[in-house]
Amino acid sequence: MSEYLKIDDIHKDFSGLKVLTGINLTIAQRERHAVIGPNGAGKTTLFNIISGKFRPSRGAILFKGTDISRKPPHVLNRHGLSRSFQITNIFQDLSVFDNVLSGVRSKYGLKYHFFRRPDRDRRIVEEVRALVEEVGLKEVMHLPASALSYGQQRALEIAIALSTSPELILLDEPTAGMTREETAQCIRMIDRVIADRTLLIIEHDMDVVFSLADRISVLHYGTIIATGRPEEIRNDQRVKDAYLGEG
Amino acid sequence: MKTVKAGPYLTAAGLFALMAAAPFVIKPYHLNMLTEIIIFALYAVSYNLLLGYAGLLSFGHAMFFGMGAFSVAVGLIHIPGLGLGEVILLALAVATLTGLAAGLLLLRHKGSYFALLTLAFNALFYAVATKWHEITGGDDGLSITRPDLNLGFTSLPMASLENFYYFTLVVVGLIILFCWYFTKTAMGQSVLMMRENEERMKFLGYNTNVNRLILFTFTGALAGVAGAFYTLHFQFCSQSAISIDMTTTVLLMTFVGGTGTFMGPVLGAFVFIILQNYLSDITDRWPLFMGLIFIFMVLFVPGGLSQLAGKIKDLVVGKKEGAAALSAQGGNHE
Amino acid sequence: MNEYLVFFLHGLAYAGLLFLISSGLTLVFGMMNVLNFAHATMYMLGAYFSYTLLQYTDNFWLSVVVCPLLLFVIGALIERVFLRRVHVYGHLHELLITFGLAYVITEGVKWIWGNYPLAMTIGGLLGETVEILGTAYPVYRIFIFLCAVLVGVIMALILYKTRLGIILRAAVNDSEMVNALGVNVPRVFTGVFAFGAALSGFAGVIAGPLLTTYPGMANDILIDAFVVIVVGGFGSLGGAVVASLLIGELQSFGVLLFPRLSVALVYLLMAAVLIIKPSGLFGEEQ
Repeated sequence: MSEYLKIDDIHKDFSGLKVLTGINLTIAQRERHAVIGPNGAGKTTLFNIISGKFRPSRGAILFKGTDISRKPPHVLNRHGLSRSFQITNIFQDLSVFDNVLSGVRSKYGLKYHFFRRPDRDRRIVEEVRALVEEVGLKEVMHLPASALSYGQQRALEIAIALSTSPELILLDEPTAGMTREETAQCIRMIDRVIADRTLLIIEHDMDVVFSLADRISVLHYGTIIATGRPEEIRNDQRVKDAYLGEG
Repeated sequence: MKTVKAGPYLTAAGLFALMAAAPFVIKPYHLNMLTEIIIFALYAVSYNLLLGYAGLLSFGHAMFFGMGAFSVAVGLIHIPGLGLGEVILLALAVATLTGLAAGLLLLRHKGSYFALLTLAFNALFYAVATKWHEITGGDDGLSITRPDLNLGFTSLPMASLENFYYFTLVVVGLIILFCWYFTKTAMGQSVLMMRENEERMKFLGYNTNVNRLILFTFTGALAGVAGAFYTLHFQFCSQSAISIDMTTTVLLMTFVGGTGTFMGPVLGAFVFIILQNYLSDITDRWPLFMGLIFIFMVLFVPGGLSQLAGKIKDLVVGKKEGAAALSAQGGNHE
Repeated sequence: MNEYLVFFLHGLAYAGLLFLISSGLTLVFGMMNVLNFAHATMYMLGAYFSYTLLQYTDNFWLSVVVCPLLLFVIGALIERVFLRRVHVYGHLHELLITFGLAYVITEGVKWIWGNYPLAMTIGGLLGETVEILGTAYPVYRIFIFLCAVLVGVIMALILYKTRLGIILRAAVNDSEMVNALGVNVPRVFTGVFAFGAALSGFAGVIAGPLLTTYPGMANDILIDAFVVIVVGGFGSLGGAVVASLLIGELQSFGVLLFPRLSVALVYLLMAAVLIIKPSGLFGEEQ
């Protein structure tokens, strides 16, 4: 399927302020696509619209052929779409295990059950452990999330996003605020856990972008000014102007 | 880790055994008080599922308590031959429906607005109970006689204080035990998540509106059962069962006992009923003292008596064991 | 015909009291985001203070001046001592503390003045009746309504015509911004809270001779004031005016036309508004 995710003429205004002015983007299945652009270009707003937090003012988003642009987040999650947040958005007082459990049990429909304990379901528990291990948090599995270091919390953020086993995953600046070393480690982890899922990632760090992405889109003042393979983007004059203009 | 899991059940079994022995050692006056404590413990536990676990402040919990209480009184008066079990089920059904209807209307709002609306709705229920003499007895209230418990092969007379005490202990006690279990179940954990980070939950496939409605209805049903036992216990029900004072009572119990733990409200109900009985002998201004204690708690001990007890325990036993207990709790999944 | 006029005027008097209370409540909520459950106890204290003062001085006008001042001080103390302390714990604790204060004040009133109704009489011109369209009508009820109109006009003038008003309205929208402009926001909050308490106390002073003074009076009017806020819309002064009139008249004519249903009427109105327009008649959609 070449039109796995199709973003069709998405506009968004906030009481008159035009943040997105006609975004068009098509992403293929198993593609790893990065969205870059200066601050305030509208990257996070675009993510908020794709993931159902905001409704677009105009336009449609087709995911595997169905328009998902006006559906609430919890419905989108069941369609197989999940996201992480730029500002760490985890369950601070719950343990790492319970944080990841929240998504895994949701996937198995164990959300509102009055009698079953999710922590007694072998299949679910195994899956949580595996995921916690995969993101490198095994040692701190039973600590409350608030006790983790910043880097660990970022890893947990990604683990939660993965916990519902989405096929399309949106990562919003996963390495924001990390040291160089942490970033490198994080990229390797993301590369591993994404495996053959489809990835849409917002990132500032060009090392991350060029090592992870198959294709890159540049967002500038609410529109996409260029889309292409990393080497094409690197040499694109408009992109250079946009970034130089900002710096 | 198997021993850790058995812990709460052992504690519960011990508590049950102790309570079962009570009629042999204490006077009828105190047995009456103990029955009342068990009933109010359920009421407070149900309230804490809203306040402590979900972070929802409602000033309308007496709606459900009162609907349960009136269902029993009205049911026994107007439906001849209604049994003990049936009348409690009737109260449960009425309170559940009330919870569902109120929840649908009120849960669209959050925070302060929700608190205000619950208070206003409670006032509506109170006004109706006061004015609708023919059904509720108005200011005079309704008197009933407890029906006997039909066990099929034999019938257990409920006129006996001891028998009713045991009946309350078993039924209400088991419901409270289920409430504890509930906090570990998928739904119970979802409630905790909702308080922690409702937004993230939505992105994990949870419909938090449904979540909240289910919880609100459930706690309403529990309060309704507590109300049913309240009428059965006093063999009387008046509009005070559905008044704002009855909401204040449960708020004081829950908060003074502590919203942070499951057992806090049980402790709160215990302390409240004891204080009510003894302080009211000394001074008729005891509600004033309860109120002052409440304000003191809100200002200085927001975790209530159970937080205070935890701190004292830490001082005596030492921090180390306290920390170990905490990690044992966290390690439930082993 | 005259009967309807009398009940209409009754409705206006009650609407006046409701406005005096709900306007302070809605102002404090709009600005500080605190729903003050103790707001109506200020009204009750106003009535009781006035009762005691009248026993010693027999000068109603003195009560009108002194009691609101006392409640201004009490309001400021409540904001400074209690609210500010629990502010860090969040809204839940702010609600709880005002609820606790309302409870304790009510119990305190029962202790000091007794748990029974007290009656006040008013002499002079205010105790007279006046002929309106051939019907004798008590001057006092008209006085109450005029007081509310006067307060409403003064409030509107302050809010929309003065520099202070600009600051206050800005604080509703964005307190951080106002802080950045060099205005001492905590002091503005204390002032607004105390002003609300004084207004509520003033309502109590003038309500005393009309309604009886009793320990349940706070709760009774608090519920009606809440309904006013729900119907009018949270934080809207114009909404408070319209909803006060609506509910005042509904209460009054409810007693006349549907005596059996009268207690439920205001709630039915509230439920209808909640279903049709959850943000209230003049509230902004969230």
